[in-house]
Amino acid sequence: MSAFTQKLYDTFIEGERWKYLTNGLKTTLLITFFAVIIGMVLGFLIAMVRATHDKTGKLKFLNVLARIYLTVIRGTPVMVQLLIIYYVIFASVNIDKVFVGILAFGLNSAAYVAEIVRSGIMSIDNGQFEAGTSLGLNYRRTMIYIILPQAFKNVLPALANEAIVLLKETSVAGYIALEDLTKGGDIIRSLTYEAFLPLIAVALIYLIMVMILTRLVALLERRLAKSDRG
Amino acid sequence: MIEVKNLEKSFGELHILKGISTTIEKGEKVVVIGPSGSGKSTFLRCLNRLEQPSSGQIIFEGKDITGMSEKELCAVREKMGMVFQHFHLFPHLTIRKNLTLAPVKLGLLSKEEADKNAMAMLEKVGLADKAEAYPNQLSGGQKQRIAIARALVMNPDVMLFDEPTSALDPEMVGEVLSLMKTLADDGMTMVVVTHEMGFAREVASRVMFMEGGYIVEENSPDKFFSNPESPRLKEFLSKVL
Repeated sequence: MSAFTQKLYDTFIEGERWKYLTNGLKTTLLITFFAVIIGMVLGFLIAMVRATHDKTGKLKFLNVLARIYLTVIRGTPVMVQLLIIYYVIFASVNIDKVFVGILAFGLNSAAYVAEIVRSGIMSIDNGQFEAGTSLGLNYRRTMIYIILPQAFKNVLPALANEAIVLLKETSVAGYIALEDLTKGGDIIRSLTYEAFLPLIAVALIYLIMVMILTRLVALLERRLAKSDRG
Repeated sequence: MIEVKNLEKSFGELHILKGISTTIEKGEKVVVIGPSGSGKSTFLRCLNRLEQPSSGQIIFEGKDITGMSEKELCAVREKMGMVFQHFHLFPHLTIRKNLTLAPVKLGLLSKEEADKNAMAMLEKVGLADKAEAYPNQLSGGQKQRIAIARALVMNPDVMLFDEPTSALDPEMVGEVLSLMKTLADDGMTMVVVTHEMGFAREVASRVMFMEGGYIVEENSPDKFFSNPESPRLKEFLSKVL
């Protein structure tokens, strides 16, 4: 057996080490999936607070809270947020680390989603609001039936990109000893004292996932562009 | 029908309307003209409170709308159709849905009734074949006719027009004006801000000249155009006619 195939064998086959990668991948996908959901839902709510305040001057208090939230979350590294949530906020609680990961990345993503959605809402011509209002629709109905459908269409690609960024950002989950994809590769490295193969494998898996998702976003963008032409 | 009492509007330091008082009766066609910056659009937009007046009263069908809550105001706006310079059709909806959205979502009509109603209205404005098209497939003139139809399906008591032909190519102005004329002949109460002097002369029951935040002069079109009283109006007419 050549030296390289021996290394391949040691890295992935010996002691079923490939399972570190597949299990890690599962954790990564699990965290990403639920964090994206939390991020989208919470981000959307924050965006509604911000946009409603900008448009009508109402919700002053909630708007202040939202702005503080956005400033803090976007002004600090996601890794620090993850460490604080795990070692400070849940310090005395025995809690599932995957849950902590989902929460940390979800709360972080929400801040970025909020600004994307808000910019989408604010980019819609104010005339659309006025047209809705002049027909007797109240603010809420105008928002739901006229503004949001248009805003969402505009920001869908940006939201999808945010999900892709989130997928890659979860790679720091290992700092709270979460065995995600990156950590899985790192464990193999520490077992075999061979860094090249496991880390390249990890990188390739991320790359393939991101390429697939990017491709899906491109398809989505093309479909949206098509309906723009009517 | 609409009584305006001492209406004032400021945007910060900018004093746009400096005390407007007038009454618009049912069936009247009031055409508002004046140089840009005279406050004529702001005046119109105060009538359905797209702009919140700084002071004064607007009494519509017996109720003062200046202090109304959003809920009450929505009910009032159902009765006041508005047509904008830049149409503001809903680009994500088909023409038919542009017309049915408000009646259906406000619970005024069932979906079937609204569809039927919309088709009849499209027939009336001569665009029934565009029902399933999207706004960006229409010409400017067609868009504005659809915008008028969208306001009309609400069965309003008064129609407000904010420079409805100013954003149109010259050859499309005619189709919109002739639709507005038909509407006037049907007895609709109308307030029209425009630069179309021909329309004012032909359709208006009263022409109003605004400048510097005041109504400088208002009169029947005959007297207004042939025998203007104020020097400022004389000067304005000499420039635009």
